[in-house]
Amino acid sequence: MYIPEADFEYLIRTLSEARSRATELAVSIGSRLGSEHQLTQLANAAASNIENTLRDIRNAAAQKQDSAPGLVDLHGALQAGTEKVPQTPVPVPMTLAFASPAGLDSEHWLHAFVDELVAQARSMGGMSFERAERLLQLRKDEFLRDFLTARRMYRTYPHLFPEIADETRQVSTL
Amino acid sequence: MNFDTRGFSALTRKATELMWETADVPTLLKSRLGEQHELTRAAGEMVASIETFVRELRSFDASAEPVTTDTYQDL
Repeated sequence: MYIPEADFEYLIRTLSEARSRATELAVSIGSRLGSEHQLTQLANAAASNIENTLRDIRNAAAQKQDSAPGLVDLHGALQAGTEKVPQTPVPVPMTLAFASPAGLDSEHWLHAFVDELVAQARSMGGMSFERAERLLQLRKDEFLRDFLTARRMYRTYPHLFPEIADETRQVSTL
Repeated sequence: MNFDTRGFSALTRKATELMWETADVPTLLKSRLGEQHELTRAAGEMVASIETFVRELRSFDASAEPVTTDTYQDL
């Protein structure tokens, strides 16, 4: 039972937008038909259900964040990378040193982020929390854009992704 | 009782888009957490309530008489 962070991001974003739309619809319908009309009550019920689901998803995401190993690995990797700078000026060995203990794929976004972070720290002679946050946000936005595009592609053309459909079927039958 | 039914086509369209946008939430949660998980069930109830709302809204929109009809009758 595992929900990747990207899925939480997608769910929270989708449900936040849905909540706004549903609330807007409920207000519009209520202003036309009155608060006692069945349609107004159905709209309010839908908005309330979206709100509840969003709250539950946010709680689950927060619990996952609390139980996650945190930035210890990243901090250690960055320290290791910084210590290696005098001996190995080329960034590739640092990436490999980071990848191995963290057990991440070489294409994981964290590699690109750490590379970029260290490169900027080198070129600017330091790194502030604000700059690191901006870099992370950029990486996150880029990741989410790709993720949402991929999801839309899958939803529109599911027959183009037979291996994902098979995987989903297998998981759902477990 | 007369209602102001103008603009209900636009509301129906927005509600339908809302239904489409949230349709895959239970599927995603089911694939990650299983059918019996509390979150999956909550998402299923959410989508069911949105579908009921959209169905009733479509029905109302299709059967609603335009307000202008009353106006012409009054003249």
